[in-house]
Amino acid sequence: MEKVAEKIIRSESVMSQYGMVIDLKRCYGCYACSMACKTANHTPPGVFWARVLMSEVGTYPNAVRQALPVLCMQCEEPSCMEVCPTGATQKRDDGIVIVEKDKCMGCKYCIMACPYGARYSVEKWESYFPDGLPLSPLEEFQKKVWEEKSGVGVATKCDFCLDKISEGKKPACVEACPAKARIFGDHSDPDSEISILIKKERGQVLNPEFGNKPKVYYLFPR
Amino acid sequence: MDPKVNGQLQHDWGWLIAVYLFLGGVGGGAYTIAAINSFTDASPVLSTTVGLWIAFPALLVGTVFLIADLGSPTRAFLAGMKPGTSWIARGTWIISAFMVLSFVHLILHQYTNVGETSGGATLINVIAVAGIIFAIGTMAYTGILLGASKGIPFWRSGIVPVVFVVSATVTGHFAIMLGMALFGDTAGLVMPFKTMALEAAGLVVLEVLAILFFLQAAFRQPDPRESAERILRKRMFVIGYFLFGLAVPLGLMLFLYSITLETGSTKIPVVITGAILGLIGGLILRQAVLICGALPTLNIAGFEFRRIHRPKEPKPGIGMLPPQ
Repeated sequence: MEKVAEKIIRSESVMSQYGMVIDLKRCYGCYACSMACKTANHTPPGVFWARVLMSEVGTYPNAVRQALPVLCMQCEEPSCMEVCPTGATQKRDDGIVIVEKDKCMGCKYCIMACPYGARYSVEKWESYFPDGLPLSPLEEFQKKVWEEKSGVGVATKCDFCLDKISEGKKPACVEACPAKARIFGDHSDPDSEISILIKKERGQVLNPEFGNKPKVYYLFPR
Repeated sequence: MDPKVNGQLQHDWGWLIAVYLFLGGVGGGAYTIAAINSFTDASPVLSTTVGLWIAFPALLVGTVFLIADLGSPTRAFLAGMKPGTSWIARGTWIISAFMVLSFVHLILHQYTNVGETSGGATLINVIAVAGIIFAIGTMAYTGILLGASKGIPFWRSGIVPVVFVVSATVTGHFAIMLGMALFGDTAGLVMPFKTMALEAAGLVVLEVLAILFFLQAAFRQPDPRESAERILRKRMFVIGYFLFGLAVPLGLMLFLYSITLETGSTKIPVVITGAILGLIGGLILRQAVLICGALPTLNIAGFEFRRIHRPKEPKPGIGMLPPQ
C-alpha cells in the first residue's frame, strides 16, 4: 500500500525524465535508425543526429565486430548547455536538451563542447545531387521543413523526436529499429522498462569520465 | 599517413576563428606593452603610440571576423547573455570592456593634452591599469575558450592559455616593432630597437618552451596525441611556424641586437622581416591548433569507437561519360 502511495506521489510530483537504452547485443548495424531519423527530421546532407559507429576488437580468427548507435545523450549535465553564450540550449523539465532556434547565434561552441559529437551546424543546404543541380522537389520540401524547425546556421541536435513523443509516440529511431535494440522510456520511474533493463543488465554509459551523466545507456554482451 | 592517425577532426572552426584569436591576441599584447611603456617612460614614447594605434583596430577587425563566422550574425548581440557559465559570453564582456578602454586611452593619448595635467595623468594611469587587466584577460581568454571545449581533448589543457598569452605578447611586441619601423624616425629607433630586439628574443624563447611543453603534455594521452601527431606532420606548422615563425625571427632579433650593440645603428629591413615572420607565425599557430583538433575516442566495455576522418570527395557526375 505504501509503495503504491509513493508511486502516485512520484507520478504527480516528479516529471518524466526521458532516457534510452540501446541493446548492443541486438544491434547489427543496419543504419535503419540513421535513415529513420533523417526521414523524420528532414536533416540536411551531412547531418546525422542518429549515427552508427563500427569497431573491431581482436584479430582473425577471433575478431569481433560491434556496432554502436550514437545520438544526443540528453545529458543530465550537458556541456553544450554550459558553454552556450546566449541561452539557446536549454534543458526541459523532462530532461530533454533542446535548442531554441531564435536564440542561437551559430557560434558553434556547443559543437566543440559536446564530447559525443552530437551537434551539427550547416552553413547552407547543399543538394544531394552532383554538378550543381537544383534541389529536387523533395529536397525543397525538406529544406522548408528544416528551416521552420531548426534553420541554417543554427547548431542543431537530436531532441528524441519531441514532436512525436508529445503525441505519445516513440522517437523515429526507436520505431524503425528492426531488431528492437532501442528502448525509450522514463528514466526516473524505477518500474519503467528502461530502468529495469539498466538495473538488471548493468547498463553502461559511453565514456563516463566525461562527467556529463548521459541518459542513453548501453547493454553490452558479457 | 600512419593508419592510426586518422581520427575525425573538428571542421566547424576554421580560419575566420583563427584570425579572430590572432587579432585578439595582437591587440591584447600590443596594448599591454604600450601601457607598461607609458608607465616606465616619463615622456610619451613611440612604442606607446604605436601600441595604442594597433590595439583598438586589431580588436575591432578581429570582432568582425568572429561575427562573420557566426551562423546567424544578426543575433551576435545575444553573445553575452550567460557569463556565468560560457567563456564566449565572458569573453564578449572582457573584449567589450577592453575595446572601450583601449579606444578611450588612444583618444586621450593622441588627441588631447589631458596627460599634461596631474589629474589627467592619473586618469590615464587608471585607464591604463584597467586596460592592462582586460588586455591580459583578452589574451588568456582566447586560450581558455579552447581549453573549455570538452569535445576536443587536444585543447583541454591548462597549458593552452599559457601558450596563447605568451604568443599574444610575442605578436603584440612584433606588431609594435613593425609599426615603429614603418612610421618612426630611423635615427631615434636605435636604442629602442636594441632593447626591444632582446625582449623579443626572450619572448620567442619563452614561446618555444611553452609550445614544447604543450606538445609534450599532449603526447602523454592517446586522444590529444592524435592531434599532436597531426600538427607535427603539417608542413605549415613545422616549416611555417617553428622555422619561419619562431627560429628565423629569433635569429634576426639576436642579429639585430648584436648589430646595434656593435655599430650603434639599426637595420630596419631586419626588424620588418623578423616582425612580419613573427606575426605570420602567431596566425599559423592558432590555425594549426584549431584545425588539428580531433574528436575523442568513444569507448564502452573494452571496445573503442574512433570517429574516422574521411576527406570530402567530389560528388560523382550523373550520366556523364569519362573524358575521351
